[in-house]
Amino acid sequence: MARLIGRRLLLMVPTLILVSILVFALAEVLPGNLGRFILGPYATQSAVDQLNHNLGMDKPIYTRYVEWAGHFVTGHWGTSYQYTTSVFPLVMRALGNSLLLAGFALVIIVPTSILVGVYAGLRRDSILDRAITISSLSMTVIPEFVSGVILIVVFAVTLHWLPVQAMPPQGSPFIDRFYYLILPAIPLMLLELGYIARMARVGTVQVLNMPYVRTAVLKGLPRRRVIFGHVLRNALVPTVTVIGSQIGWLIGGLVVVETLFNYPGIGNYMVNAALNHDLPLLEACVLVVAVLYMLSNLIADIVVAFLNPRIRMGG
Amino acid sequence: MAAAGTTPDRRLDELQADAAAAAEQRRQRRYLVRSLLRSPTFVVGVLIVLFWVVMGVFSTTFTQPPALPHPFAILQSPSASHWFGTDDLGRDVFARTMAGAHTVLIIAPLATVLALLWGGMVGLTAGFYRGLTDDLMMRVVDAFLALPIIITAILIISLLGRSYAILILVIGALFTPVISRTIRSAVIGEREREYVMAARLRGERSAFVMAREILPNITQPIIVEGTVRLGYAVFTVATLSFLGFGLEPPSPDWGLTVATERLNLQAAPWTVLFPALALASLVVGVNLIADGLSSTFSK
Repeated sequence: MARLIGRRLLLMVPTLILVSILVFALAEVLPGNLGRFILGPYATQSAVDQLNHNLGMDKPIYTRYVEWAGHFVTGHWGTSYQYTTSVFPLVMRALGNSLLLAGFALVIIVPTSILVGVYAGLRRDSILDRAITISSLSMTVIPEFVSGVILIVVFAVTLHWLPVQAMPPQGSPFIDRFYYLILPAIPLMLLELGYIARMARVGTVQVLNMPYVRTAVLKGLPRRRVIFGHVLRNALVPTVTVIGSQIGWLIGGLVVVETLFNYPGIGNYMVNAALNHDLPLLEACVLVVAVLYMLSNLIADIVVAFLNPRIRMGG
Repeated sequence: MAAAGTTPDRRLDELQADAAAAAEQRRQRRYLVRSLLRSPTFVVGVLIVLFWVVMGVFSTTFTQPPALPHPFAILQSPSASHWFGTDDLGRDVFARTMAGAHTVLIIAPLATVLALLWGGMVGLTAGFYRGLTDDLMMRVVDAFLALPIIITAILIISLLGRSYAILILVIGALFTPVISRTIRSAVIGEREREYVMAARLRGERSAFVMAREILPNITQPIIVEGTVRLGYAVFTVATLSFLGFGLEPPSPDWGLTVATERLNLQAAPWTVLFPALALASLVVGVNLIADGLSSTFSK
């Protein structure tokens, strides 16, 4: 187990270097003349040169990559051009907001989709099963901002059940934030529901055909005990695998949902930084998201390995 | 005739065998088409997509001009003269929604074709040669899949700037790894079959075996994969446009319209709702086609 985790952590290193080079290349090419971009067309050439010198844009590329990577590792992430504040606390606050939204979404997604999938599997080929399968699968293919907009129009604008914005007004108690996060979490749920529910359904259907389930039924166990004691435990292993592989989609979905609801999370900051050429902020956001993505994949793999004795014992 | 030897006869036999094989192929294809047309998912999907293709090409000939602002008819709710209402510049939302199909239906299919070409080459080579070539290629593919597609796309587009060509190239490139994986596993399933061995024993070159022997036998998984990717391509183009990395105003593109009009969401929900529904219907349509194809092929 420890060897598995160690090997996976080592495998992350080349990928991280690749991503950091891509991000650095972006920082090199994107602005053209950075000093000119910031100061505008009417600034004098000497002022532009001075700013370029202060920003370190006149040194050779490899020096700047090494310096840049070193600064990044030591937590000196520079100053945001847009907000003129230090990037590190900015990104950490945004990361906290994003994790809150993602965690809340996962807490809703996992039980709901397992419930829906197992229910459909237990009533295989009924009209309800068909309806669940078709509607949840069509939900997964619809972009998050489309379902988000439709949800806002229905539940916020028309019915006034939920607020349009994703952040409560300043000074509200922390618990209020969850109420404001319900609407943004639903598009994320719709995105994942189809896959997870389908897996849970397939798992249930397969396990129901197993001899040990027939034995359990024939020896007279009540239906509830058959389902909870025999079916669910075995049906959920493939489902957990799928949940892990869906985390990447969830992070991609966060970018869109945060932008739609104007929620101050890391995806929203990343999009705004890219649109406004705010390089230090963009670099930090992309690298943090990359690390987050790789770590969550790693955790998913470990959970799967933990559930599967063949991998757990074999190392 | 008899003196001329067996050559013409044998050629005749071969021709007849070829003709029989071709007839058999045609029969199978007809059967496939007939069972596709009997699949309701496929037919509904085709109808939806056809509707948007027709709208994307011809809608501007019978609707009001989609880019024409009317300063005196701003944010009007749906009525007989403006079926879907008007937006914040007084433009007709119906006309813009119908015309919005145009850009997506150019970019997404071209990007998919590009990804199929590249992914096909990578997948065929990796699956056919196996060994070190395969290992190396799959490592690169893994590295590309290390970040969510939408984030890599944002990075590359900020690097290269925005245009039709760049959108097509970026989405094509980012879809290549997934497609090459699918094609690789299909090739691995075929490469040990007798007909491949026979072709190799005949002394055919590898390129010939890949292109003329294996490729025709894996068209079905390729078609299904291509349709599924087309759905994702529409999804990705729309999302990039929504985030501000796709098309630019005043294009009536759906993703862009949702992004720019969402400021009026509370006062005039129709400006956002109709393009959003249009996009949803197109994506669902493409996926219905993919579902119909894959269930007909797997029968």
